[in-house]
Amino acid sequence: MKHMVNGDQIHIATGGRDFDPNGKVLVLLHGSGQNHLTWVLQGRYLAHRGYAVLAPDFPGHGLSDGTPLASIEAQAQWVVDLLDSLNVPAATLIGHSQGVLVALEAARSHAERVESLVLIAGAAAIPVNDYLVDLSDQALGKAIKMMTNWGHGPGAHMHDNTQPGHSFLAYGRQVMALNNRDALLADLNACNAYDQGNAACASITQPTHCILAAKDKMTPLRAGQKMAAQINGASVDVITNAGHFLPAEYPMEVNSAIRAFLER
Amino acid sequence: MSGDYKFDTLSLHAGHVPDAQHGSRAVPIHQTTSYVFKDSEHAAALYNMELGGHLYTRISNPTVAVLEQRVAALDGGVAATCTASGMAALTTAIMTICSAGDHIVASSRMYGANINLLENTLPRFGIETTFVAPDDLAAIEAAIQPNTKIVFGEVIGNPGLDVMDVESVAKITAAAGVPLMLDCTFNTPWLLKPIELGANIIVHSLTKWMGGHGIAIGGAVVDGGNFDWAQNDKFPTIAGPHYAMNEINFVEEFGPAAFTAKFRAEGMYNFGPSMSPTNAFHILQGIETLPLRMQRHMDNTAALLTFLQGHDAVAWVRHPTLPDHPSYELVQKMLPKGAGSIVAFGLKGGRDAGRAFIETVELASHLANVGDAKTLVIHPASTTHSHISADAMIEGGLSDDMIRLSVGLEDVGDIIADFELGFKAAARVMKG
Repeated sequence: MKHMVNGDQIHIATGGRDFDPNGKVLVLLHGSGQNHLTWVLQGRYLAHRGYAVLAPDFPGHGLSDGTPLASIEAQAQWVVDLLDSLNVPAATLIGHSQGVLVALEAARSHAERVESLVLIAGAAAIPVNDYLVDLSDQALGKAIKMMTNWGHGPGAHMHDNTQPGHSFLAYGRQVMALNNRDALLADLNACNAYDQGNAACASITQPTHCILAAKDKMTPLRAGQKMAAQINGASVDVITNAGHFLPAEYPMEVNSAIRAFLER
Repeated sequence: MSGDYKFDTLSLHAGHVPDAQHGSRAVPIHQTTSYVFKDSEHAAALYNMELGGHLYTRISNPTVAVLEQRVAALDGGVAATCTASGMAALTTAIMTICSAGDHIVASSRMYGANINLLENTLPRFGIETTFVAPDDLAAIEAAIQPNTKIVFGEVIGNPGLDVMDVESVAKITAAAGVPLMLDCTFNTPWLLKPIELGANIIVHSLTKWMGGHGIAIGGAVVDGGNFDWAQNDKFPTIAGPHYAMNEINFVEEFGPAAFTAKFRAEGMYNFGPSMSPTNAFHILQGIETLPLRMQRHMDNTAALLTFLQGHDAVAWVRHPTLPDHPSYELVQKMLPKGAGSIVAFGLKGGRDAGRAFIETVELASHLANVGDAKTLVIHPASTTHSHISADAMIEGGLSDDMIRLSVGLEDVGDIIADFELGFKAAARVMKG
């Protein structure tokens, strides 16, 4: 659906169902240089299982207008603004990668708006190497190719896909190419600058589940496990053989883990 | 793994990892019509396109999916869908995009069945085509109308061997907001990946070089994922609400794979042009050796071109790698590894000499196929293009005396010796 947030027209995938603000609201937060298409195999699935799904494109990403937000703090505030604009008092935040940082920050700064958290392929800090940051500025195509290569696990590199006929790598590159030219650079800089992750983890009292990938080269498994260990009561699923883009690589496993947590 | 696997590796592996249950190294043939659901919720998820997976082999099949993923990987597309034949691929691709009242701009120099579909069949369903020379960029641009939904051509024309300047045509179609669809049967992704040059949809007859063995018919449609279906109001059934699945919008739901999602959800569901799993298995065996075979095809083609050009019985030889071919300069830039293994030539003595040649050669097979591992010859005027009008033949760059040669993988010395027999028979005809 198209929706106005802070003066920008935003695209929000609702999983093929009309959004019900009175339902059990799940906000799916995409990662750096990504958009709502991260959640192709989660959004429809969860929406057709009774949840009110919001998978927004952040400003400047995917089908949304606007300028990419420069910090994780601003993105967390934007999520709260989104909830306000839809009259949603509180929601479960499901983040992937950079979306995990946004979810952590929203839980830290607006705890009352966050019912629970699902943190996928994330860490309390996501430092980005300078070379990738420079590439995202000077040679975006190369940066996108590097991220799709590093972000996918061994099965994806063999083009073994649960979606018949699909290629993870080419699809991943085209998904990232949909964003504004400056979206990836803004996202990577935001990740680099965010230093409240440990404080956020320590502050969380909401139920939290972490879904981590054993072959994750972007946010390594150990970093994800360290994050989980800092969150009181957090549970963890580790998906063997998955890379960083596990929502696409192992959709059934991710969906099952999300549902098991939500229906605990 | 820190980068994309290279072409030769993908030819062998793409689309398949050994399954956890049995560990089969080769791709298993899933010769089944249907698949047991885990539960009713799983069934609903598949029907509703919430998850990937297999419902019914008319729509998708695990063996066929491996082939689809391999072809997508080789061409650099976001997805591919396989069909029962190359013609099924083309027809379903057009039906996925076009409706009655729509218009196509197409090359006038193409495979006879391609032209027949566009010229005679599709008008009955309200889809009209304007044919233009594939090397006339101004004509292509001028032929695009407000209701044009596809620009279509062959990278290497069959059988005239005209080569399309893909990059230049892609710039025209991109500016017009129309997808460029190319039949890439003659080039295969080993010679050229047109998506990298801006083409949007690739159609293959996998029956030819991709399979290479001449034992299985099949086609594929590769989605480049690089066309914005929502940039204008030309494609309402892809970028607007579709009747299927509660008015799904394929662009919003599936992004760069919107075309493929509609192709499978509507084309495979409603038209049912499915490839058999066994054919997919056979074609996969062929693709495993595609790089090796294509190199040999190019080597043998080069040797035969030298032989034919130097032979007294030969009136003319046409191949895009020859300096007198109109596409020669383009080929140097666009097709550095070769311009395919189809050669056209005419014999002194015209049609009768040509017939004598074809009926005399023993190693080369006289049949209606190309791209086989075995050398093939045919006389298009009396076979593949016999239903095309005389004017269309001329427009297509064909002549009555033309022989189409599909160079195989035999020892090239044996092919040459076989041709010498044919030329002697042709000479006898000339002498009366």
